[in-house]
Amino acid sequence: MRPLPLAIAAVVVVLLVFVPWLASDVMMQFAIDALLLAVLAQAWNILGGFTGYVSFGNSVFYGLGTYGAAIAMAQFHLPFWVGILLGIVLAVLCALLIGIPILRLRGPYFAIATLGLAAAMGAIVSNLPIAGSNIGLVLPLIRADTMFYELSLGLLVLCTLTVLWVSKSRFGMGLVAIREDEDAAGTMGINTTVFKIVALVLSALFTAVAGSIHAYWISFIDPASAFDPTLNVRMVIMAVFGGPGTVFGPLVGSFILSAIYEYLASSISTAAALLFGIVIVLAVIFMPRGLANMIGGVRARGPRYFLQNIRENRL
Amino acid sequence: MSAPGENAAGATTRIPILQAEGITKRFSGLVSVNRVSFEMYENEILGLIGPNGAGKTTLVNMISGTLKPSDGELRFEGQPIDALPPYQRAHLGICRTFQVMKPFPGMSVLENVTVGALFGRGGEKVMAKARRSAREWIDFTGLSHRVDARADSLGGPDRKRLEFAKALAMEPKLLLLDEVMAGLNAVEVEEVIELIKKMRERGVTILVIEHVIKAIRSLSDRVLVLHHGEKIAEGDPAAVLEDPRVVEAYLGRRRQ
Amino acid sequence: MLLAQILTNGVLLGGLYGLMALGMALVWGVLNIVNLAHGAMIMLGGYAVYYLFAGLGVDPFLALPIATLGMFVFGYLLQRFVLNLVVRSAMLNTLLITFGLNVVITYLAQLAFSADFRTINPGYAGSNIAVFGITVPLVNFAAFAIAIVLAGAIWLLLNKMPLGRAIRATSQNLIAARLYGVNPRQLYAVTFGIGAALAGAAGGLYGTIAHLTPYIGASLTAKSFVIAIIGGLSNPFGVILGGIFVGVAESLTALYFGPTYSDVISFGLLVVVLIVRPARALRTA
Repeated sequence: MRPLPLAIAAVVVVLLVFVPWLASDVMMQFAIDALLLAVLAQAWNILGGFTGYVSFGNSVFYGLGTYGAAIAMAQFHLPFWVGILLGIVLAVLCALLIGIPILRLRGPYFAIATLGLAAAMGAIVSNLPIAGSNIGLVLPLIRADTMFYELSLGLLVLCTLTVLWVSKSRFGMGLVAIREDEDAAGTMGINTTVFKIVALVLSALFTAVAGSIHAYWISFIDPASAFDPTLNVRMVIMAVFGGPGTVFGPLVGSFILSAIYEYLASSISTAAALLFGIVIVLAVIFMPRGLANMIGGVRARGPRYFLQNIRENRL
Repeated sequence: MSAPGENAAGATTRIPILQAEGITKRFSGLVSVNRVSFEMYENEILGLIGPNGAGKTTLVNMISGTLKPSDGELRFEGQPIDALPPYQRAHLGICRTFQVMKPFPGMSVLENVTVGALFGRGGEKVMAKARRSAREWIDFTGLSHRVDARADSLGGPDRKRLEFAKALAMEPKLLLLDEVMAGLNAVEVEEVIELIKKMRERGVTILVIEHVIKAIRSLSDRVLVLHHGEKIAEGDPAAVLEDPRVVEAYLGRRRQ
Repeated sequence: MLLAQILTNGVLLGGLYGLMALGMALVWGVLNIVNLAHGAMIMLGGYAVYYLFAGLGVDPFLALPIATLGMFVFGYLLQRFVLNLVVRSAMLNTLLITFGLNVVITYLAQLAFSADFRTINPGYAGSNIAVFGITVPLVNFAAFAIAIVLAGAIWLLLNKMPLGRAIRATSQNLIAARLYGVNPRQLYAVTFGIGAALAGAAGGLYGTIAHLTPYIGASLTAKSFVIAIIGGLSNPFGVILGGIFVGVAESLTALYFGPTYSDVISFGLLVVVLIVRPARALRTA
């Protein structure tokens, strides 16, 4: 990473810190949501973007983070940070328990296994009394949008710094090697199992914390919203739209898409969900490597960029 | 370091770097490699030849650890390695190239080789140092003009050079070369032969699978012939290549 | 007796599940596309039959061929003009694009059909026949029989007809197929069309025995995927058997643990199958 983008990023972060003193309530709602979604996209990026393991089931970790906070705070009246910890513990345990068998699968097998996991997890949780079964849990109500905003921003910065480190480290090199060719990576001395699991755990960890923050902020959760499968759609498309396997692509992608989504949702609500599907289809056809590649790549410019992508992949 | 050729003669007294004993691989009833035993000695070049489907690549896969033998034992520097996964064998210094070249397609040449320096036997932990040594190996294999090119943009010969550079950056003790000359013209074959000789001068023990007989003749200290998964001959290249059984099994079939 | 009844239900349902998975397995095997919009296409077939029946009064079993044909055209066009643009790119991209199509189809369906539950409910919907004291619902039995017949038709197509041979050749080797004068673009579209037609047929039958909503797609996709893996991609009857296996497992789970766990059981089966038979999973990937 050249110093210039880093400097810009630092300035943007500093500016973002002061947003709560300027923005309206509605703006704050949007900002917190956008930040948390960006965390999800960025966390997904560690596994999906760098390691090439496309997870359609990260909502499971989000849901566990949500329930960690909710169970700790609603059932045991513990402070918020204990809830976050519980969420992390649950998500990491799940990542280890499920990850070890499931990460042996490749390509579509892994993707669909995670899809199935997402469906199964919702069903399991809605049968657990401690999780409030089907009804859900109510957390202590708190009006502190500024705190939630700064927490979300802090989490996003932490997550992005982690991705920055991944992109420059030996660990990240190993992940990218696995993405490019897993068998070759193994014969070149990379302990692929451990690398993949660490990537999954990192991804699960940040996703879970985002879930915990969201739970406390919303203060009511039920299985349907905690394990909402459309969340997977959103985080995947945000990361892919922006540029999977890059540091800032998922951030840019998620902010742009959040803004468009918010705009559409306020005018025509049902079309907003539809938009995501259309964006996925168009993005895969016209810019399969994401915005980051379109802007920073060395390929053709203008409309020829899109044609070149199509020419490469069509039959 | 002993001169080439001495190895075979001194075989009985020296400790081999690699010992294969009764290595067998069955795929759902089909025997691909059948009770093959052989030894490799430090710094020698062993040529492994045989017609297509003789089990050469399967054998290499078992040595590098991507396949588990159904039977038999492998020892590397006296230690059994059968239970070790591929990455641990790489750490010990067993390194291979693939018949179908397997660079990391989306990575640059430099990044490809850096992976070798980071995770091979050298296991360099510091990125900057790993990059530096990767550059050295890229120079060594004559690929410095393409350092920043994407691996999938390389042509055939450069791709082989990259494969060598990656392998060498891992600081292997034993290098398994699976048909690295396939698809090269005469001049390029000559270059690769020189490169392999240079590697041996650096102390690497090398197993060469090759169909280019000329290369086998000029490189190998000893030759081992597989046919239908069984070892049918082993020894001095000139003698083995004249062996009627080898001519019939290998050359005879190739001529069809 | 209860067990025998549950097993019968499971087998009948499983035949239909097999039919659902058949189209997915065909497209996967030939085009190497795991179609995550497959369940959404099943849903579309269901709604097509529903509207033909509820709107125009066509008998569901007469509406079925019409819906099947309609879905063939839909699938053909989808492959020819959309998926064909990305068919050679990495599997990640074909997964993503079909995932996106799934979202698009689902929400368009929600706009067009509303989110209300629909059931295709002809006069004979409740009819049963009793065999050795086991109740066999007529509609379920018909669905099962049609699934078997269609699997047989696909088997005949793939093994005995020139088109099928061309399809199989293309799945083995695209370049070689081209040399034999097969136009792969056309053939891919036809294959995808057949996959969509099978999904449509399965959807119509599904609508006669279960509720339709625009959102059933994702879980049916996952189910089809599990069955395709269990049954294998090459033999239609293997896929039907895979479906029966899952159908029976689901019925038994519903009996012993409660119906909310039936999604869990297909996931559990998926993981178990992938772990017990990882060789195939790893090879095709």
